[in-house]
Amino acid sequence: MAVSEEKQMIVNGKRLDGRGFNDLRPISIKAGVLKRANGSALIEWGRNKVLAGVFGPREVVPRHMTDPKRAIIQARYIMAPFSGQEEHGRSGPNRRSMEISKVAKHVFENVVLTGMFPKTMINVDMEVLQSDGGTRVAAITAASVALADAGIPMKDLVCGVSVGRINGQLVVDLDKTEDNYGESDMPLILSPRTGEVLLHQIDGKLTKEEIAEAMDMSFEASKKIRELQVAALKERYESILAETENGNNGGGN
Amino acid sequence: MENERTIVVPGEKVFDDQRRVEGGYADATGTFATTMAMVHDGKLVPLKGYYLPKPGDAVVGIVKEEMFSGYEIEINSPYEGRLSTRETRERFAVGEVISAKVVDVNEIHEAIIAEPRKLWGGEIIDVESVKVPRIIGRNASMVETIKQHTKSELLVGKNGRIYVKGGNTALAIRAILKICKEAHTGGLTDRVVALLEGRE
Repeated sequence: MAVSEEKQMIVNGKRLDGRGFNDLRPISIKAGVLKRANGSALIEWGRNKVLAGVFGPREVVPRHMTDPKRAIIQARYIMAPFSGQEEHGRSGPNRRSMEISKVAKHVFENVVLTGMFPKTMINVDMEVLQSDGGTRVAAITAASVALADAGIPMKDLVCGVSVGRINGQLVVDLDKTEDNYGESDMPLILSPRTGEVLLHQIDGKLTKEEIAEAMDMSFEASKKIRELQVAALKERYESILAETENGNNGGGN
Repeated sequence: MENERTIVVPGEKVFDDQRRVEGGYADATGTFATTMAMVHDGKLVPLKGYYLPKPGDAVVGIVKEEMFSGYEIEINSPYEGRLSTRETRERFAVGEVISAKVVDVNEIHEAIIAEPRKLWGGEIIDVESVKVPRIIGRNASMVETIKQHTKSELLVGKNGRIYVKGGNTALAIRAILKICKEAHTGGLTDRVVALLEGRE
């Protein structure tokens, strides 16, 4: 967005919402929220709310897209009509949502073991219910939990966060105001286990040194997000496990 | 506790060496889980997964389509089952439930099905195929327990589809769903018996 005058977004070393430079917004993830989907997850990331659902592996429609060697992945990122303000709130497939669907598809193609299910299709649908900047990383983070919830074999749970520059300062996890009036924004998705970068986009300008620093900041912040993803997935099983181990001597099988 | 059960998520390290296991993925640094799984007794037990047909599997299927040369059978899997008319003189209608055996998996991943037998008058429930070994139990102990208590006829397909007929089917289904929900816990037989005896 064109900015005529620079906005003051850092006051006394704090950002507009009171966060420090390396702080994430509050994040909560819940797995298995939908009954009809094979796997699902809801993420609340600050004021962002994204619902992700996974279907498949199933028969490929249209048939001519079938790959005899691996499963194909169809990702769909879309914003609900009521999700935001201004141009971001425009619903329906547009240039932006098609681009994000495409990059998300490439992310999942690199972590899902597609070779295990040749001739099938896996659908990953990400529905942005409410947006406040950084929805693409939130959507992919949620979709990754949904894929694990569906039982689709993957090499790793992917997650990520955007890092950008506002008022000359690199900050983690930009919200909508910081994104719109800041100088640059760099969403990053990675595989925390191997450190592989699966999505790397930049809006605006960053120097070589800033990119290196921003990546380090993103890697650091992603560790916290991964912990939340793992907790969301384990929660259901571990609660049942804890329930049954009380008053049970573990005998029998 | 010697029988400790740990839940792992995709990408979590399970073994330090490379092993070829179901639900596992190995690279130079070790073996990692690929799905939600449980590590128990030094083994990786998947908690989620899809049924992939293997020769010799007994499955419960639903007739999906009738074709010139045979039938297309839905077997609770990403892939279809094929039943050739050469295998049977019986005719099937779309929607009928059959029990059958997978004899082969062809080059386009379809399961070739034989020995069809019509099932009627019962109920079917779909569960995850990874839970089937738990439903059957060691030496079929779990399924026998359910049969004894409910007087139901039970047919457990490898594909995670279970046919229940006669007796107290509602109780049998409740027991099966309980097994699926608590498949990753210990002492399950005792709790299933408690449910079947109405102590829960």
